[in-house]
Amino acid sequence: MTLSLVSLTFIAVIGLLAIGLYALLVVHNLIKVVVALQILAKGAILGFILAGRINGQIGLAESLALTVIIVDTIVAVIGLSLAVQIRHHMGTLDVSALTRLRR
Amino acid sequence: MANVLILLILGLPWLGALLVWWVGDQRSKAQIVLAILFSVLAGVASLVLIPFASNSVALNIPLGGAFGDFTFVADGLGIYLAAIATIIGSLAVIFSVDYMRGEAQLGRYYALVLFFIGGMAGLVLTSNLLLMFVFWEITALCSYALISFHSDDPKAVYGGIKALIVTQFGGIGLLAGALLIYAYSGSYDLQAFIANPQILPPGVLAVTAFGFLVAAAAKSAQFPFQTWLPDAMEAPTPISALIHAATMVNAGVYLLARFYPAFERVPGWREAVVVVGVVTALMAALMALVSNDLKRVLAYSTVSQLGYMVYAIGTGGVFASQFHLMSHSVFKALLFLAAGAVIHSIGTRDIRQMGGLGAQMPLVRTVFAIGALSLAGIPILNGFWSKELILESGSAHGPLWAWVMMVICAGLTALYTFRCFWLVFAGEPRSHLHGHDAGTAMKVALIPLAVGAFLTELLAGPFAYILEHTVPLMEIEVGTTLSILEEVVTTPLTLVALAVVALGLAVWWWREKLSGLSEALAGIGRVAADSFGFEAINRGIVNSTNWLSEKLRRTQTGLLNWNIFGITAGFLLVLIILVIGG
Repeated sequence: MTLSLVSLTFIAVIGLLAIGLYALLVVHNLIKVVVALQILAKGAILGFILAGRINGQIGLAESLALTVIIVDTIVAVIGLSLAVQIRHHMGTLDVSALTRLRR
Repeated sequence: MANVLILLILGLPWLGALLVWWVGDQRSKAQIVLAILFSVLAGVASLVLIPFASNSVALNIPLGGAFGDFTFVADGLGIYLAAIATIIGSLAVIFSVDYMRGEAQLGRYYALVLFFIGGMAGLVLTSNLLLMFVFWEITALCSYALISFHSDDPKAVYGGIKALIVTQFGGIGLLAGALLIYAYSGSYDLQAFIANPQILPPGVLAVTAFGFLVAAAAKSAQFPFQTWLPDAMEAPTPISALIHAATMVNAGVYLLARFYPAFERVPGWREAVVVVGVVTALMAALMALVSNDLKRVLAYSTVSQLGYMVYAIGTGGVFASQFHLMSHSVFKALLFLAAGAVIHSIGTRDIRQMGGLGAQMPLVRTVFAIGALSLAGIPILNGFWSKELILESGSAHGPLWAWVMMVICAGLTALYTFRCFWLVFAGEPRSHLHGHDAGTAMKVALIPLAVGAFLTELLAGPFAYILEHTVPLMEIEVGTTLSILEEVVTTPLTLVALAVVALGLAVWWWREKLSGLSEALAGIGRVAADSFGFEAINRGIVNSTNWLSEKLRRTQTGLLNWNIFGITAGFLLVLIILVIGG
């Protein structure tokens, strides 16, 4: 049995989204949360490309993917810098300990 | 040419708002000059636009096709309301120079007023439903922010939030209607929809029609949403005159008038509009009769007069309603600004503490009297002509019981108007408060409105002409100003209405001899003072919402994993619904 490129990519998309969501559900470390968000976003980008290829609108898909890459980078940068600050102020990176905005 | 003018009408106030904010509160003189300049220029642009009225698209801003083109049409319905918004807007700005002198954060005040003027003009000029919704919400937002302008006063904040929440119900109705129209016609163009409403199945058309009625009732403070307008009186008085008397509250009436040709055949819709109008007009008139707050009396009378306009639309008198809207904008803005001069001078809104102010502020007394006579429907003044036109349309095309109610309401209007004028300006002073006459800027704003209360009925002919030629689906009866006025004068019904108005005045005049009657009616007065239980219903809704949110608070743990679980579960639910439904 051979898998076409489309179905392989589809499996990859579902896999990345599932891993990302699962990681967000279970991890407690803020840096791992950022990593999980990255995985999730990569799944979304791949999904856009796949949808563009199926619909024949690859140009639109590429521009959307590029937008997601930019947004996703900003999220990573801000998330990680927040992590540094939080570690500095609170002494922990455990998200379940961070339910209050004030110490 | 028309496209440039529309851009100016929208752009000048918004540009002015930005500039006022940019200039900063340190240079308040420059702020005031900019605010007056930009609002007056917008007013001039809207007047110049009137000869260019047509029902074709005047300005088209293509936006990539995602939400349809953002189109603007300068037809008869739109340009008059845009002119009212910009002209009364600029007069309110001028009045504010005296009224708001010495207040802090004037930049915020003037910027929001200018932002509102542009938003209101956009609301009536656009022909794209989605854009209309955006402008609709911009006006609601400005209204909220200006009611709560004195943000350290809990009553002002409460009134602002109440206005925002209640008008949001209307926004939901409008959005739902707009989306339904888009779903079935594939376009947000309202002209195309009005020309061909059968594009929607009858059931969907009915939902849209009643959604728009809810939107109009919430925005125009009609039954059962009328409670927000009296509480909005915490706003600075020029704001009450501009937003809560002359412009924004008319948006609901405008919406009903605009979509009347599309909805008139929806079963039960016209009857519902009539009922809303009559109930509101009568209830608000009774509340105005027992209120002791000068601005609240005027607010209730605004609600009542808006009820007249809604009633007129229900009976098919679109022209009568728009004509009354124009008259009402002028005389009610005049009344509010005159009341503002009184409040500014003596520092209270309680009419029990006023009295005898006429000798101290003769100019304000004169202009208030002109406004009051117009509101009461005394001949020659503009309110008389338009109100009689509404009653005439009601007697010809509406149910008899509604007409009788509205005539009684005209008598009540005369009664409460005269009571209010008497308690404020006539008789002996009831306190040691001392008034002084209006300042220069106040006079500049008051006198044109007072002259307007005598003259705007002369615009009836041109108004009808433009409406007939640019809004072809309305079936407006054409006539010159003279023929319209002659029609009013020669109708015997006018005499009936005038007799009732005179009766209303007589009841006030001989109130001491009629004390037995007023004691017999004291029960109604108490219920009216309690706003017919609507405040209690409001409180009940607020309390139950609070209770529910307290209960639901446990779901807001602040835990990231729990929130992600919620998002994932919601996403899966949507997927399942799509799979089953599709």
